[in-house]
Order: sequence, then C-alpha cells, then structure tokens
Amino acid sequence: MSIIELKHLKKYYGNNRGVEDVSLKLNKGDIYGFIGPNGAGKSTTIRTIMGLINKTSGNIYFNGEELDYNDENTKKKIGYLPSEINLYGDMTVKELFDYHESFYNEDFDKRKKELVKLLKIDINKKIEDLSLGNLKKVGIVLALMHEPQVLILDEPTSGLDPIMQNIFHELLLKEKEKGTTILYSSHVLSEVSNICDRVGFIKDGKIIKEDSIENIRKENYTYLKIISKDINKIKKDLKLKIYKESNNEIVFINNMDFNTLINKLSKYNIEHLLIEEIPLEDLFMNYYK
Amino acid sequence: MLKREFKVNLKSFVIWLSILIVMFLFVYLIYPYIITDETMKSMDELMKVFPEEVLKAFNMDMTSIETAYGWFKTEGFMFILLIIGFYSSILGGNILLKEENDKTIEYLGSLPIKRSKIITNKILVSIVYILSMVLILGIFNYIGLSLSGSFDHKQFILLSITPIFIGLPLFAINLFISTFLHKTKGIVGISLGMVFIFYLFSVLSELSSNVEFIKYFSIYTLADTRNVISNISINSINIIISLLITIVFIISTYIRYNKKELI
Repeated sequence: MSIIELKHLKKYYGNNRGVEDVSLKLNKGDIYGFIGPNGAGKSTTIRTIMGLINKTSGNIYFNGEELDYNDENTKKKIGYLPSEINLYGDMTVKELFDYHESFYNEDFDKRKKELVKLLKIDINKKIEDLSLGNLKKVGIVLALMHEPQVLILDEPTSGLDPIMQNIFHELLLKEKEKGTTILYSSHVLSEVSNICDRVGFIKDGKIIKEDSIENIRKENYTYLKIISKDINKIKKDLKLKIYKESNNEIVFINNMDFNTLINKLSKYNIEHLLIEEIPLEDLFMNYYK
Repeated sequence: MLKREFKVNLKSFVIWLSILIVMFLFVYLIYPYIITDETMKSMDELMKVFPEEVLKAFNMDMTSIETAYGWFKTEGFMFILLIIGFYSSILGGNILLKEENDKTIEYLGSLPIKRSKIITNKILVSIVYILSMVLILGIFNYIGLSLSGSFDHKQFILLSITPIFIGLPLFAINLFISTFLHKTKGIVGISLGMVFIFYLFSVLSELSSNVEFIKYFSIYTLADTRNVISNISINSINIIISLLITIVFIISTYIRYNKKELI
C-alpha cells in the first residue's frame, strides 16, 4: 500500500491554473524527487496536500484513506518544510521548539538535541535575527523533530551552504533507512539525483515524465557534435533535435542506437564527430523546451 | 497556544487600556480644581448655546458635569465606549488575519491542530481581554470616583458593563470580515471606520425624531446608556441582541475559516 497517493489532482485559482493534473504514488521509504521550474505547480501541489489551499478536484490519499487535513493524528505523522519559512520573529529558537512540541503533547528532547547539534543551531537566538540559511535549519528541525512517517520538503536546500546541504542529504538518507517516506521538491535535478529513487517532472501543472533515476540515466541520451560541410543536408535528412548550432557545426541530442546513427552518417562527409553523455541537468532542461 | 496568544496580544491590550486610564486619572486629579463656581457659571452659559438635541446626544440633558461622576456619565463614558469599540474591532480584525499577513499560517496550518481549535483559542483570548478591559476600567473608575465624591453605585456598575454589549459584537463582526481578506493592510481602516460610523449613527439618531430610525443600524444603540442613566436598569433585549449578533458572526467565522484558502 502506498503511503501518499495523488490521483488527478487539480487546482485552479479562479481561471488561473495552479495544478492541472498531478498523479503520483509514494511507497514506504521512497524518496521522490518532485522536479520542475518555478511556477510549474510544485508548491501548489504541496500546499494542497498540506490542506493550506483547497483542491479543485482529484484525490489525496494518506495510508490508503482520503487525507483529512483537519485530523490531528494524521498531521502528527507529517513533517513539512515550506520553501519560504515564516516563523514567529519574537520567539527565540528554543521557545519556538518548545511551542512546537506543545502541539504534539510529547517530549522530543532527544531527537531535538541531536538535530540541533548536527545542524549547528544556536537555540538562544531570536528567530527575527536569523539568516535565511539558519532559518532553514530551524525549519528542518521543526519538520523532523517529531519523527514523522512522511516528510514533505519544498525546496529544502535553498539558502543552505554546500556543506550543510550534504549534512542534510545524509540526514534524509538515514530517515529513508528508518522507513520515512519523503517528497522532495526542487528545481535542480542534480541536487536530488544522488538521494532520490524516483523523479517526477512537472510542467505547466502536469507530470510530464516519471521514472527512476536509474532508468533516466540508462536512457543513454547523448550529445553529438558534428562539423561537416553537409550540415544542412544532415539536419534535413535525419530530422535532428538540434541543441546548438553555428556555421558548419551542430550539437544535437541523439536517441538513436549507435549502429543506425553511424550507418546514416556514413553517407556524408564528416570532418569532426564528438559523442558525449548528456549531463542530467541538460536532460532536465530538454524536458522543458 | 493559548499562553502564546495571551502573550502576543497583551501589548495592544495594555496600550489601549493605558489610554483610558491615563485620561481618567488626569480628569480625577484636575477636576476638583477646574470645577469652581465661576467656571460652572460660564459652562452653564455655554451649554445654553447648544440646542437640546445636541445635549441629548451626549447625555448632557440628563446630568450636569459639575461633579466628576457627572462628567463620567457624559463625555467620559463616550470615550470609554469609543475606545473599547476601537480595541474590540481592531482585535477582531487582526487576531486571525495576522497569521496570514505574517505568513506564519503556513507553519501554524501544518501543526496538528484543527482550524476550529485555532479560532476557539483566539476568540477565547480576545473575549478575556475585552472583559478584562471593562473590568479593570470599572475598578479603576470606581476607586477614582469614590475619591472624587459620592455617586450612585448601582447606576455606575450597570453603566460600566454596557461596553461589553458593543465590544463583543464589534469584535465578532470584524473577525468575520477578516476571513474574506489575506492582508491586514485594509482591515484597520474598516475596523476604525465601522466604530466611527456606528457611533455617528447613534449620535445622529438622538438629534431628531425624523432620523431616529438610524439607531437600528448602529451597534452603539445596544449600549443604551440613556436608559441605564435614567432608569438604572439594562434592557434585556439589548443583551440578547448583542449576544445574538456575536454568536451569529462567530459561527459564520468558523464556517468561513474552515473552508478558507490560507495562502
């Protein structure tokens, strides 16, 4: 049984699209990369799951049952880190952590101390005096403190330095080992490629591709750079997906198998040929063209 | 959550209460000196200039301002009704909406607490503060008036609790209006404007019997201080209407807020 499942989730703000059609499934221990550019509908999807905004249609299931955002016990099982963190500025970090705990009627002292130590947080500082990065770290503790079954992270590393990003990713991998299910939204594929099992690409409010990181890498898309006087002919005959071009030179994305490709190219006068693997980031950009 | 709500709303409570306390303290301290026979004579002359309707509008036709209590029943009480009206309105307009304005609602909304419980906590704190303001002010004025001369205790007590009948409905109406907004930017204007308009309606309705009907459009009619001063009793209809308005708007707030898009 999946832990979180979205079925044809749709959200419109009047006539404006928030999310058109999002379906996804997260099983226990999954880390799901929810990838898309700004305005694609990532935060809208997440805020709908959190019950902060109302869905227009579709279903959200949690542990097989329709998610009731007004159910306190369900919410106790979810940890949420919003992309922009706004907390009570007048409180110190320690006061905020205590306030947070008071909603759960439980003592998370041990876990809280571990996280504070790991993320190097000064708990005596006032929230309003924290830098963006430190605020994010406080947000991470708030999301993880109660050891939730599901973690919903919206652009969690923005504002964190690379060292802290690594610490955070290691933390998530440990959570995964414990069986925590994680929905990780980001606009940077390379950021999630090392920790996610699967990724879903969202564009204009729709999931346009969903696969495991392994399969995406296996698709073996390559860049081919050709310099040739016959370049216009090649372009016309092979119907290529051009990535870059200048005078006698083109770079295109190849998805043909190599035997077919070499056969086809052998008819032309090629001056220079370079084949290289497409970096994940460019592959990601390719989906959004 | 209750503890925090009391803490964050304490500051504005103290400020609004202080305005009234300082004003009344000042009056109690200087009143014996300004009310001399001579000044009273010139005041009487001045009063003759005003038509009866105007004096009626400020309860001045029923009482004289030659004692501190006389002043309290007329001008003084007008300030109490206005300031408690402002405080209750602004509190109602802000207490829920502030979370959205400061965007802290995204955090609060992710916590394991029902939206209804958030509203209940905030309403509870507000009612305690509105009632505390009436109570503290009542005690302060009781002491101040006791030191300034004799006065009708029953009349004073009944008069002192009338701000509750305008404070609670004003709070509830503004709380409900705030569920239609996302920013606190416009709500202060609405809250203050509402108090001014209601107060103006109640004053105007006293001026002429032709426009008496507009009193039915003012929350301030529910305070009905003229009746309290002349008959030393509170009309139970006013209490019922006041509570009814409060309850209707509070229930409507629960219904609206539970469906509201918080971001």
